[in-house]
Amino acid sequence: MALSGIQIYKLLPQTNCKECGFPTCLAFAMKLAAKQVELASCPYVSEASKAQLAESSAPPIRLVSLKADGREVKAGNEVVLFRHEKTFYNKPGVFVKLADSLSEAELQAALKAVEAFHVNYVGIDLSLDGFAVENVSGDGARFAAAVKTVRAHSKRPLILLAGEAGLAAALPLLAGETPLVGPATDGNWQALAALAKEHKAALLVQGESLDALAELSEKIKGAGLEDLVLQPVAATLAGKLALNTHIRRLALKKNFRPLGFPTLAVAGSAEEAVQAVTKYAGFIILERFAPELAYPLLVLRENIYTDPQKPIQVQPGVYEINNPKPTDPVLVTTNFSITYFSVANEVESSGLPAWLVVVDAEGMSVLTAWAAGKFDAERIAKSFRTFNMADKVSHKRLVLPGHVAVLSGELEAELPDWEIRVGPREAVDLPKFMKQAL
Amino acid sequence: MPVEIVKDKWPGSVRQVTLGATAAEGGTRSHTVTVGGEASLPFMHFEAPMPNRPRVAIEIKDRRPDDWSPLLLEVWGAAADNPAEWAKAAEQAGADLIVLALSLTKADGSPTQAADAAASVKAVLGATGLPLIVFGPGQAEADNELLVAVAEAAKGERIALGICEDKNYRTIVATAMANGHLVTARTPMDVNLAKQLNILISDMGLPLDRILMDPTTGALGYGIEYGFSVMERLRLAALQGDNMTQLPMLVTPGFEAWKTKESKVGEGVPADWGNWLQRAINWEVMTAVTLLESGADIVVLRHPESVARVKAVIDGLMQPA
Amino acid sequence: MAHTFTVTFDGFPEPVRVPSGSLLSDAVRLAGIELQQPCGGQGRCGRCAVLVQSGAVRRRSSLRLSAEDVAAGYALACQTVIEGDLQVHVPPQEKIERRLTTDRTAVEVSPPADYDPATVQPLRRYTLTLSPPSMDDQTDDWARLQTALRQQAGLSEVKVSLPVLRRIGQALRDGDWTVTVTLDMKTWDCPGCPAALIDIQPGVIPAGDPLWGVAIDIGTTTVTLWLVDLITGKVQAQASEYNQQINRGEDVISRIIYASKSPENGEEMQRLVLDTIHDVLKRACGRVGIQPEQVMKAVIAGNSTMMHLLLGIPAASIRLSPFVTAVNHVPTLSASEVGLGIHPNATVDCLPGVASYVGADITAGVYASGMETAQGITLFLDVGTNGETVLGTRDWLVTCACSAGPAFEGAGVRYGMRATRGAIEEVWINAETAEPTYRVIGGVKPSGICGSGLISLLAEMFMTGVIDKAGHYNTHLNTPRIREGEHGLEYVVAWADETYCGRDIAITHVDVDNLLRAKAAIYAGFTVMSESVGVPLDAVEQVLIGGSFGKYINVEKAVQIGLLPDMPWERFQFLGNTSVKGAYFALLDQRARQRIHEIAARMTYIELSADNSFYDAFMSAMFLPHTDYRRFPTIAAALEETTKNLSRPGS
Ligand code: SF4
Ligand code: FES
Repeated sequence: MALSGIQIYKLLPQTNCKECGFPTCLAFAMKLAAKQVELASCPYVSEASKAQLAESSAPPIRLVSLKADGREVKAGNEVVLFRHEKTFYNKPGVFVKLADSLSEAELQAALKAVEAFHVNYVGIDLSLDGFAVENVSGDGARFAAAVKTVRAHSKRPLILLAGEAGLAAALPLLAGETPLVGPATDGNWQALAALAKEHKAALLVQGESLDALAELSEKIKGAGLEDLVLQPVAATLAGKLALNTHIRRLALKKNFRPLGFPTLAVAGSAEEAVQAVTKYAGFIILERFAPELAYPLLVLRENIYTDPQKPIQVQPGVYEINNPKPTDPVLVTTNFSITYFSVANEVESSGLPAWLVVVDAEGMSVLTAWAAGKFDAERIAKSFRTFNMADKVSHKRLVLPGHVAVLSGELEAELPDWEIRVGPREAVDLPKFMKQAL
Repeated sequence: MPVEIVKDKWPGSVRQVTLGATAAEGGTRSHTVTVGGEASLPFMHFEAPMPNRPRVAIEIKDRRPDDWSPLLLEVWGAAADNPAEWAKAAEQAGADLIVLALSLTKADGSPTQAADAAASVKAVLGATGLPLIVFGPGQAEADNELLVAVAEAAKGERIALGICEDKNYRTIVATAMANGHLVTARTPMDVNLAKQLNILISDMGLPLDRILMDPTTGALGYGIEYGFSVMERLRLAALQGDNMTQLPMLVTPGFEAWKTKESKVGEGVPADWGNWLQRAINWEVMTAVTLLESGADIVVLRHPESVARVKAVIDGLMQPA
Repeated sequence: MAHTFTVTFDGFPEPVRVPSGSLLSDAVRLAGIELQQPCGGQGRCGRCAVLVQSGAVRRRSSLRLSAEDVAAGYALACQTVIEGDLQVHVPPQEKIERRLTTDRTAVEVSPPADYDPATVQPLRRYTLTLSPPSMDDQTDDWARLQTALRQQAGLSEVKVSLPVLRRIGQALRDGDWTVTVTLDMKTWDCPGCPAALIDIQPGVIPAGDPLWGVAIDIGTTTVTLWLVDLITGKVQAQASEYNQQINRGEDVISRIIYASKSPENGEEMQRLVLDTIHDVLKRACGRVGIQPEQVMKAVIAGNSTMMHLLLGIPAASIRLSPFVTAVNHVPTLSASEVGLGIHPNATVDCLPGVASYVGADITAGVYASGMETAQGITLFLDVGTNGETVLGTRDWLVTCACSAGPAFEGAGVRYGMRATRGAIEEVWINAETAEPTYRVIGGVKPSGICGSGLISLLAEMFMTGVIDKAGHYNTHLNTPRIREGEHGLEYVVAWADETYCGRDIAITHVDVDNLLRAKAAIYAGFTVMSESVGVPLDAVEQVLIGGSFGKYINVEKAVQIGLLPDMPWERFQFLGNTSVKGAYFALLDQRARQRIHEIAARMTYIELSADNSFYDAFMSAMFLPHTDYRRFPTIAAALEETTKNLSRPGS
């Protein structure tokens, strides 16, 4: 059970000495309850309290990190079942599957395509995280050769899907890296665990049921391995969803250690990949690479893993409502989503065309942003310049929200060739204002 | 090692809402469609069986739309010129429900009249036996005028009328009550607003089992995370026993996805965006699947290939292995 | 043929006969007796109470009548069925009104029962008799005075300032070597420092004569000053006045922006507030016939912005992220430094604040409210522009501020006004006809609506379906009072011919929206706070309401609109202006001053803009009474009752 701020506070010294960097012990306790600080920041916690608090702060899902050449793909450490409860932290790494049965040329082509792939999404450069090389041939040497080819063309972290022979041949090629290897099953886990341990690899543990997975992970832990990734296997989407949900719930709600590991999902289609992103996969292997799938998938991953605690914002920019012409009015508002929506909806449903300039006010509403100095004449003027508003319209008249009528003078100075009109305070009054006053 | 799974026990469940009325029930539909009834989070069959599968609706227009992606116009071909034909084609494509979205204006630019809307609805009802959902053009005055005519023309058919919004719901709800229809309640991506509108509508006397809620979602890449979380929160609230959120959710991934640049534009975009058609369909399917995972009961789609793929996903999600 | 009963009314010779099953209100009407029924006979307002002196009745509802009332025979005429011959007394209407509005009284202040200036008052007066100097004893005046202080007052070390030094010689000689000195023994920021000599007067001042101090609350809107005799501890005069800074902006943000524009502006703001203080100071001193210079100490409370502007400290950082003040614990100052027109050497003690938006007015308020010693969980609310809220017990205190805006103070509402003569302070709406009844302060023609009137109006419009739960007007109602006005939809509370201003007094949809926002912000503030510490709201044992507005709120109406949480009414208590009260206690007692210091240091400030939870709670509260209706069970029940009684379809 997570402790509340007050409960934690009662375990702290209550001296308000401020050494933790917070003005009071209660402020620190609330941050601790929200898992935003480390207990160690308070030098004065008693040993007894420490023991009590440690219990509630240990991560229930182990952090597993795949590494190669300075790149790192992390999974685990998640603390919630639903992103709105806090946030999802570690975006599931997406790995493209490559079979060692491919010819050298085919392999190279596939590698090059993935290596070259990158897209820009709202200023973020998106690309894939690595490769999962599969020992389809069953031949250790061939597998090692394939891994060698992959390493020759890519520095990204790897997943090696192979049995004992394949891994024994390929792992020595990856010295200094942390790949994920396996899957370990009931039949081969001892050998694989030994190899993983020797080469400092993370081990994939496969099972068709929770019972089997838990049993196997316990055995492997017993063999001294800590970095495990679970691969629950089910035939249908519903089955996969159920297994992944069980694992997450058991870890978070019961602190059930045998299943307290990130999971891996193999996605044969866009649909399966969506479920893996939304429902708890820590690593995803894509059966096939196609840019028209990778692009939306990586975007979805960005979306689902954004921090929902941040104020909901829309992109600053110029929004065209009801196909405006250069003669139509220019309205100004902030990028707080609700502010934007209420303005956009009013205008949209009135049927009146308009240009809506959304200024970057750090996601605050008009009044709050004004109060905090994030929506002033300077910022508005800057937006008009960066969005080239002067070129979009034939008139130069802009409508300022009524709440910030005080800015009109300064704005005139900032945008000397624009006529500043003060609009209504509330969005509901906009259509009437536009009909009558413009 | 026997593992005891964690099962959530919920005091509440989603209401069942039935669209359409057969001849026996005073309508002309060949069958009805019931959605809702979930007593667990989406597809947690091990906790409570889902009495009704999520349904796929296809959105058609009363006339050839001016602003749809050419990919869509191409695939629907001549059917897009005639709502009755389009409805038939949609049924062929596997739709469980038809969404007829009325246009603000006719092809010649003059406003759509009440009589035009009523005629379109009649034509669609004549062409297909599927239950029907009708959306107004999305402007308060036009919506009120056209939907009253539609409601009267379709009296007894138990269609769903949309879109009720917090500033414009009274007329639509009143006509739905008078003519035995349902309404869809749309709110902009906010748990509280969704709930508030449900309360306002039910305060007018419309029973809750005649309301579908549309929390709006945003498309993949365009705010879907808000929609996703709002839906999860609404569903959690419903299961926790909050009466006013216990309504099935209708969402419009087709509309959302097909207005994105990724779907609309085929040329002059980065090569890494991949094949246009496949990308556009992926965009629609992936938006829809994300919303199914967060609790959608009706997904409204536009492309027939998306319909096939999403239906297959629903099949998979309805099979507890 | 149904039974009939005879009803005889006190003071009316003619009894009336009514069929069985009739309501008492029918009988009253039949008898031609006037009886107010503001809520239209819905059993909601309690105004139609009559006294059944004898005979059988059945009360369908006794809402608003206490158990004693019912025992005494009171019954709501509109809710009571006649079941026998009756003798009834209809009380004069005005009387009932008073009975129902007792919840508006504020707690008055008096000095603590055990106030002992000799132990707790840091300001002391001593009469000293010095041996005069001579050729043998050419000790200087100051050393001579120090000797007397040591020998006669037991003070071995005393600080003196230049202005006092300048006066010593004259005073000693004028008093013929007998003088009365005033000392400030101890200040909070230097408890070990020597006492400071503030004043020296020739001759003897009798021990019982007043020693003057002032407690000042600088509000964004109003400045309040209490003139206190520190010997008895009694408040001898009070005065308040609009803060003249209002002309430079109604809210703190505008004033910060104005003051930050240029050094001249900053000085102007400082002058404006000093002018206001001097106004009230003069008025209060005038009432007891003294000069402001006779005031030897000032303790000042006020929000952080007011404090900065008073002291001429740049306030710009207050409004800019991460919202820090220049100073929370202001050191002890002298009146001449501050420019305060009391005794120039008087100590000016500015009480400490917690954060940019939780200032000394709140720390003083927390002390005055007594919540910092309460065992149970207490919620302290300042229903004002900044909507500061404090939650806690004697063990912990958390606080937040949620800019509620000035709607409840009448600002930002078209016909809003302060609670003065001519303000509509209470409204009832007949649920059947949507016709209002209102009461005006001073019983004159109305000129506007004050905060309590707005709360009451909003509640009534909501309870009777004039607006829906989202605050939108129901245009489907058949009443001329809902109309499309110049500013959109509005509801006319008073027609032009009833009003003082000769115009219709109406409340527009924008007004409604502003009120909704204000109440939602305040409610959201304390819900977020309670969630962030993990204490459920129903665990709150008492709700203390401060702020000058706190005197006038009608709890029932405030709960109906979801401004206050739905809990038994006896948990609410109205404290009036707790800020000046806290300053007053600090002025009297150094222990109180110390406690306020500790309160400021241990209050944990929660920044509401740090994440989404406030926004979520706010959206949830932007509904009547609240989106989560389960938080307001009694309102839900009352609504159900009202709708049941209504014949109106689809509303
Ligand atoms: S360091 Fe420890 S004792 Fe000091 S304020 Fe922080 S939590 Fe309290
Ligand atoms: S309670 Fe009887 S008239 Fe209001």
